[in-house]
Amino acid sequence: MMMWVTGGVLFAYVGMLGLCQGLERHYKQVWQRPCPRALRVGLRGAGWLALLVSLLLCAQAWGWAIGPVAWLGAMSLSGMLLVMLLPYWPRLAVGLAAVVPVWGMVQLFG
Amino acid sequence: MKNTFTQSMAWLHTWAGLIFGWLLFAIFVTGTLAVFDKELDHWMQPEVPATEVSQADAARRAVAYLQAHEPQAGNWGISLPTERSPGLRVSTGDRRHGGGVQLDPRTGEAIEVRDSVGGNFFFRFHFTLDLPRNWGIFVVGALALVMLAALVTGIVIHKKIFKEFFTFRPNKGQRSWLDFHNASAVLLLPFHLMITYTGLVIFMLIYIPAGVDALFEGDSRAYFNAQGNARLEQPRQLARQPGQLVDVAPLLAQAEARLGPLGGLNIRNPNTAGARIEIRPELGNRIALAKGQAMVFDGVSGELLSDVPQWRAAPLTQRVMVGLHFAQFGGYPMRWLYFICGLVSCVMIASGLVLFCVKRGRKYGNGTAQASARRWYRVAEVCNVGFISGLLLACVALLWASRVLPVELAQRESWEVRTFFGVWVLALLHAGVRPARRAWVEQLLLVAVLCIGLGALGGVGDAMRVGVVLSALVMGVLLGLVAWRVGKAVPAPIRAKAGRNVEAGA
Repeated sequence: MMMWVTGGVLFAYVGMLGLCQGLERHYKQVWQRPCPRALRVGLRGAGWLALLVSLLLCAQAWGWAIGPVAWLGAMSLSGMLLVMLLPYWPRLAVGLAAVVPVWGMVQLFG
Repeated sequence: MKNTFTQSMAWLHTWAGLIFGWLLFAIFVTGTLAVFDKELDHWMQPEVPATEVSQADAARRAVAYLQAHEPQAGNWGISLPTERSPGLRVSTGDRRHGGGVQLDPRTGEAIEVRDSVGGNFFFRFHFTLDLPRNWGIFVVGALALVMLAALVTGIVIHKKIFKEFFTFRPNKGQRSWLDFHNASAVLLLPFHLMITYTGLVIFMLIYIPAGVDALFEGDSRAYFNAQGNARLEQPRQLARQPGQLVDVAPLLAQAEARLGPLGGLNIRNPNTAGARIEIRPELGNRIALAKGQAMVFDGVSGELLSDVPQWRAAPLTQRVMVGLHFAQFGGYPMRWLYFICGLVSCVMIASGLVLFCVKRGRKYGNGTAQASARRWYRVAEVCNVGFISGLLLACVALLWASRVLPVELAQRESWEVRTFFGVWVLALLHAGVRPARRAWVEQLLLVAVLCIGLGALGGVGDAMRVGVVLSALVMGVLLGLVAWRVGKAVPAPIRAKAGRNVEAGA
């Protein structure tokens, strides 16, 4: 169960990160340059997709009855974390996405 | 009131938020702590051993103890050791809370356990403010309505919900406070709305009894019966004839197979031919809060007399909402999720309260404003300190009191509660005599030190107690950082909290 929970929270964070970086203002905040339109759309799409994956993982962890409640909580809290990280350590906020492949490896081979 | 719709919403949000925010903060903090009420109970009573005894063995020992000490009692209550509550408690009579004797689950011997209000105090304070029960429920219900109103008006007056969805600009004074207040409110909006609304739903029949009054002519028992909660007829005749009590272990196994993990059992009319054994599940076996449900067995033959009732759709809906509020379902990951969401809610309310003062500091905080305006501003400032850091101080003081007060003290529980309120009043007085920023720093530092120091009180024998101490440690370090940040902020010409100097200096 803990792997599913971790994954749910992780993908919620990455989803929020994608949506956030798909916004002109926040992309600039991290990379100090404007965001090409295609990338913006791609980031947002990936963000929504990650949120969907997060929902599936939360449902795996808790079942469909209460999973969506946990999903909302995970999105809220990871959004909060992102908002607090962005102004202080913007690169770290983005870099946290690197945990996803690690999680995937552990999930596949662990 | 102001002219336009948005302006009047802003007026309502500001003033309702300020006046009721102080108590709402207390409700949210104690509610957040109550997520871990059993763990705090366990920490506050270090005499209770953490053991790994099966429920069947524990139940047998409890019955043997009651057989030896209370064979004539009309009712035996047994709380079985569970994952979150490793104690074994037996009681007689119908009292639901408190009382009773704590047993060692390994031996079945009574153990001396200090009286303590435990984490249950936070739970009770959360929905009654420690007022008489029904008064408290109404006051807290009214406050929950204000909270809902504050949420809705907040949405109305926040013009850029999506544009500033991820925005937080630190070190910009008032701007930063508003950003934080907005972000924590918007991002956790589902949680805020859910927790406030489901909180109201718990006592909906107390708040709005008209429906039941009309349908059942005010007969609440008829209403409960109609839901399938009918109590079995008590066998008065048989209860006078002696009888031999059946072994409870197979019944527990049968109930566990049907209900999931068990919480405890009641044996009515023990040692008579009319004995009844009621076995209740733990609260978190399903989403709908199962409080009051039990499987009933014949105490002599062991035959199943009644299963847990099936709820009809409407009561089930209510129970599920209550379950969403109580967060018993989903294990520790869910509990932590609720706990952290609750913390963010508390900080959201606190930041709104601070924002009120930050916004008006320049205008009313110095000599140029009218004396009466300055006085009211000072009242808001003092209340902010006293109701935010003061309440935190009171909560941690209660934890200390549970360990530090002499064990043999008469009416120990009420002394704990007195400590809680006494410290709170002292904190308000302290805030009244100190300059606001000094008061913030001093009180927050004290809370931090007390939180960090919880471990020094010892009595950490098992994982659960270590968890309490570690969580308090983390909390203390965070609060210490806040205190340090508030103290470090260069003294602005007026009262300031962290980060408002950039703007003041600009």
